[in-house]
Amino acid sequence: MRTKQTAIGAALAALAVLCAMFATTASAAPAWKFEAKALEGTEVILGGALDSSLTVPGLTTKCENFLYKLTIKNEAGTGKGEVTEVPLYNCTTNSSACAVKSIVAEKLPWPSKLTTVSTTPYIIIEGVKVPILYSGEECVLGGVLVTVTGSAGGSIDNAKETATFNSTTLTATGTSLKALGQKIEWNGLFPTEAFQWHREQALSVS
Amino acid sequence: MQKHRTRVVATALLAVALAALGLAAVAQAKLTGNYTKFAQCPYTNTEVRKCVYSVTESGEVVLGNKVVPITKQVTLQGGFGEATEEKEGAEFAKFYAATNGITLSKAPQNVPGGLLGIVPDASSPFLVKALIKFFLENSLTGVNSTLELAKPASEIRVSENNLAGEIGTAMQLPVMVHLENPFLGKNCYVGSTGNPIIWKMSTGETNPPPPNTKITGSSGEIEFLEEGRILLAKNNKLVDNAWAAPTATGCGGILSFLVTPIINAQLGSTTAGHNTAILKGTLNVASALAVNKNNKENP
Repeated sequence: MRTKQTAIGAALAALAVLCAMFATTASAAPAWKFEAKALEGTEVILGGALDSSLTVPGLTTKCENFLYKLTIKNEAGTGKGEVTEVPLYNCTTNSSACAVKSIVAEKLPWPSKLTTVSTTPYIIIEGVKVPILYSGEECVLGGVLVTVTGSAGGSIDNAKETATFNSTTLTATGTSLKALGQKIEWNGLFPTEAFQWHREQALSVS
Repeated sequence: MQKHRTRVVATALLAVALAALGLAAVAQAKLTGNYTKFAQCPYTNTEVRKCVYSVTESGEVVLGNKVVPITKQVTLQGGFGEATEEKEGAEFAKFYAATNGITLSKAPQNVPGGLLGIVPDASSPFLVKALIKFFLENSLTGVNSTLELAKPASEIRVSENNLAGEIGTAMQLPVMVHLENPFLGKNCYVGSTGNPIIWKMSTGETNPPPPNTKITGSSGEIEFLEEGRILLAKNNKLVDNAWAAPTATGCGGILSFLVTPIINAQLGSTTAGHNTAILKGTLNVASALAVNKNNKENP
């Protein structure tokens, strides 16, 4: 009889541990919410980077117009999405010798997903591919196609409704962008504002 | 009259001497700072777009059964033009020789095992055995392997996009290996001007035939200097292990007919898949126009 009680106790304990594990998993996969209610169906986020730059030591490339279109949805309670358009205009470098001849986002759409790292929500964009062609007769990269590839994780600030990408957020999410065979730095601050069914509604991730 | 003519001749000679000095000064490079490495780049040639100064500091060359570590620096310098030749899905640029004629420096690398490593005493004919004994007694046992360009520098090809993108062939080099020891004579080579070894060096992954397996190069840690006018790649790694090498020729002087087959037997198969080249070092690339500008700015 005592053996049976012990077995039931152990089973309940195991169940409790399993429940706790599932709860942890659920919190690690946040969802898109509008006015604190989980998004149903899809929504489109359109916007432009407030500030964005790519840096290989000694050469920084900036784009005045770094626009993006992100389609978001929740799948089984987890926020997902796709970056469908990234038009890049008026790009320059910090070098007097190098100009940006062309820069185009390729292999779109780039899949994205939400995750949580140490209570902070993050968006991870995968499959990034941006070839940059530099020009300038005195530029050592003149005529060379430099392709940025990889994935990038940015932290989401629910209060400011922004996503921030920098070396800290990329490290936190275990993501990296590469060009010229090495990790490069990407800094960017992007507003996260709905432009379809949930205009002017507060967007949050939790 | 005579005095006046003498003075005119003297003035003319002085003018010629000054002009010659002036020309010498123009020809002499006056590069400064980070640009000094490119002193041997033909940057005044308008067809040259980029200057290269690449120093291989370590690595190895595997030729059949023989492994030769690179312990002495090898320098490749010169320039390259616009990428206009298309092959293997990439555009390649023609190379231009270093102005001092030393496009690829000759750095003799020690062959481990020395003479007995490539001409074993036990399996050699009597005459060869006797000669080897003489060389051993006179401490002439060291063998060097020197990499040389097998074709003019203009036969080298460079793909900047492949170099940057870590894919395909970044640099194609026609080379030959000079095996040096008094016993081997002056003409012991693997590869020749007529039948060179073609290295297709990559910063990416190779795809060799067996028994070799894939190896990976690297463009290294890149930094831009002089506001993007110079690229510095430290720990750059160029690899190729899919190349074939012809058999050795001309080894052993008048005993070549005896010695060369022994060396080839020692090297074993040198067909594709049995050889490897790994060149690790520092790569410097600059815009030729920027180098030329630096030269003009510093008279």
